[in-house]
Amino acid sequence: MSRPGFVLEVDDRTPPLVVHEGEGFRLEGFPLGTQVVYPPESLPGLPDVEEAIQDALLNPEGSEPLPALLRPGMRLTIAFDDLSIPLPPMRKPDIRQRVIEAVLTMAADAGVDDVQLVAANALHRRMTDAELKEIVGERVFRSFHPQGLLYNHDAEDHDNLLHVGMTEQDEDVEINRRAAESDLLIYVNVNLVAMDGGHKSVPIGLASYKSLRHHHNSKTMVRSHSFMDPEKSHLHHSAWRMGRLLAEHLKVFTIETTMNNDVFPSPYDFLLKREWEWGIRDQASMLAVRRGLAVAPSKLRHKMFHDLRAPYGVTGVHAGETEAVHAKTLANVHRQQMVEVQGQSDVLVLGVPYLGPYNVNSVMNPILATCMGLGYYFNSYRGQPVVRRGGAVILYHPVKPDFNQLHHPSYVDFYEEVLAESTDPAVIEAKHEENYATDPWYVHLYRTSHAYHGVHPFYMWYWAAHAMDHVDEVVWVGGDRRAVSRMGFRAASTLSDALEMVTGTVGSSPSLTYLHNPPHLIADVR
Amino acid sequence: MARLIKGGVEDVRTAARGWRWGRRSLVPRSAEAHALPTESSIFPTTWSRRRPAKAVREVVQQAGLRPLFRSQVSPHVEGLDMLDRVRPPVLFVANHASHLDTPLILLSLPDAWRRQTAVAAAADYFFDTWWRAVGSALVFNTFPIERRGGSMAATPGDVLDEGWNLVVYPEGTRSVDGWVRNFRLGAAWLAVEHQVPIVPVAHRGTFAAMPRGQGWPSPGRKPVTVRFGPPLRPAEGESARDFAPRIRAAVATLLDEDRSTWWEARRRAADGAVPDPAGPAVAPWRRVWAQTEPPRPQPGLRRRRAWRR
Repeated sequence: MSRPGFVLEVDDRTPPLVVHEGEGFRLEGFPLGTQVVYPPESLPGLPDVEEAIQDALLNPEGSEPLPALLRPGMRLTIAFDDLSIPLPPMRKPDIRQRVIEAVLTMAADAGVDDVQLVAANALHRRMTDAELKEIVGERVFRSFHPQGLLYNHDAEDHDNLLHVGMTEQDEDVEINRRAAESDLLIYVNVNLVAMDGGHKSVPIGLASYKSLRHHHNSKTMVRSHSFMDPEKSHLHHSAWRMGRLLAEHLKVFTIETTMNNDVFPSPYDFLLKREWEWGIRDQASMLAVRRGLAVAPSKLRHKMFHDLRAPYGVTGVHAGETEAVHAKTLANVHRQQMVEVQGQSDVLVLGVPYLGPYNVNSVMNPILATCMGLGYYFNSYRGQPVVRRGGAVILYHPVKPDFNQLHHPSYVDFYEEVLAESTDPAVIEAKHEENYATDPWYVHLYRTSHAYHGVHPFYMWYWAAHAMDHVDEVVWVGGDRRAVSRMGFRAASTLSDALEMVTGTVGSSPSLTYLHNPPHLIADVR
Repeated sequence: MARLIKGGVEDVRTAARGWRWGRRSLVPRSAEAHALPTESSIFPTTWSRRRPAKAVREVVQQAGLRPLFRSQVSPHVEGLDMLDRVRPPVLFVANHASHLDTPLILLSLPDAWRRQTAVAAAADYFFDTWWRAVGSALVFNTFPIERRGGSMAATPGDVLDEGWNLVVYPEGTRSVDGWVRNFRLGAAWLAVEHQVPIVPVAHRGTFAAMPRGQGWPSPGRKPVTVRFGPPLRPAEGESARDFAPRIRAAVATLLDEDRSTWWEARRRAADGAVPDPAGPAVAPWRRVWAQTEPPRPQPGLRRRRAWRR
């Protein structure tokens, strides 16, 4: 039986608590009275995933069974989430592989010949063949990739984009032509957090910059309270308008899956346990891992973390009409991640781990660290932010100004040129976004190499816009001073120093809340 | 390299401090409601009441525990003559304020009584790990009782029926402030059910010497006193519910006697004016403050110095 999440109040019995900081973690002794939000324990996975997939496809929500939608001579497109989720990547077999294999088996039985598979990577980097293969599995890869029928979506291939129409709020809906012109589009999703899925899948995952700019902007993000709560997220409102428009033109069969909180395999599984329940083995593992990380050269340390494959259990598979499916999916996500928190605090403490959606097999640069901390983690709330307006956020991460030149070329220029000029999301959006989005070199790298789109660093910055608008002070513990300063924040060596630095904003005895993630949690702040 | 070693040492120190190495791990108060259910395991202790264990215990208690105990506290024992009025097995029923209570009572008993006395100990506390269980069963002849219900290898009744005396603390756990809490019915029920006498035992000073949360007695050989009272037997047809208050009253009278004199305590008992052992309803710090004062020896019992200063 999994225990629900809860809020710990640090007292004299509380051992030091784990705080993630990039490719490592520290044991932090928090001040007495600090609230620590623990996610619910991992829910049990489905005992028979294959059976659950079959059941979902044969008894879908608000739709005919999948076999009834398949017929010879039809154009069938299967789109699927890219490597940005789940985090860490899933231990083989990936759930997308299992679902796609089940779908293809039914398509083969129905005599469907015209099948293509598209990775819905939007403006994310193209995945390598190996990465594609890891997601869809060897069987699917071998059957489709050599013929060019399994590929990454290209948001800059204007010949293969179709402008479907405009929403009632004049938003362009432009998506992958093959998907838009299919008789049936099946979308296979992994719904790791509440932000994912629903109409965010097709209208965003298969869209172009022209379409994405309507919701991926600073104004939308500042008004989304939060983007982890689709009901109150302007980003999602826009995506829903686009999705409903698409549904008028295109038959979409959505398959959504949810995972439990088993994000760390052995011997890192002590990171999933509540610290005071660590046994001798857990303490020994902690000491061994800490020492191992301390002696390991940075490349090995990077490999130790990025080679982790999470032993997720699948908690749900739902298929059918997008909105009906997503309601069930969200309920599953909330069941796994929701924790009730009473009231806001003066200071929010967050540990930013080694991995975010945009640095799988890559490096978490300062902009991605900000996106992860002030974007994803700050927005992991429902109701109201965990920290009060005008409060402070303290984050842990080394924030080294290291960039992966292959994956994040535009990030380097964004960091060196744009942030040097201004860190205000609205200002940089107005002044620089268009240039980066249309820069031919970035477009070329996005299309032919494995680079994120030129506009992507802007989006990452907008992701943090709500937090920047909401709090007065952001301090990075253990952060590189130059990099942190470039982003308009401050750096501290220890938590005590950070608390000392924010006294001007929150006083000398502020209330503190630490979100103990990963694994993921959503603070339901009352 | 030096930095690495220093970091390693620092990590080990942090872990040792944070996870209380060598001591019992604690659950933060706000997490107690979310603690994992403890798995009750049946730990057999029959071996500890057999001859080889008895022989080992005799050596450990006489050669190790007794000198160690006397080196840390200064015990004073009264009322052992009460044991002449009963024949084993009996139930020694005492107030409970410290881990010193058990060695104090055991080491105060005459050897013949001590060798035949077992101690009822909380299964969830003393029998949660094998080494703690073996240690306490071997040294103190403890056997586990479930405070919250559950299965046991041997019930206190079985141990009594084997002819062993039992030390029982009817409060269920150590007092948080040194004052006596309510008595549960277990001891009274055993006495009624097995028709064995109860010897009330009252001790003072153990809370002052080593209160809850302290792993070793305070320095300075603090005085501790233990007093055995006249045996109590359940009256004909008396229920455990009626008998239990009499036991608590007997312990209260003994505590009063230990603070004053036998005569004064008798007078107060006759007038129904025995001080409530639960202590006064004052601020918690005052309750703790009163109990942290070591017991003063009665005027007539003060030891004479062999060498006058």
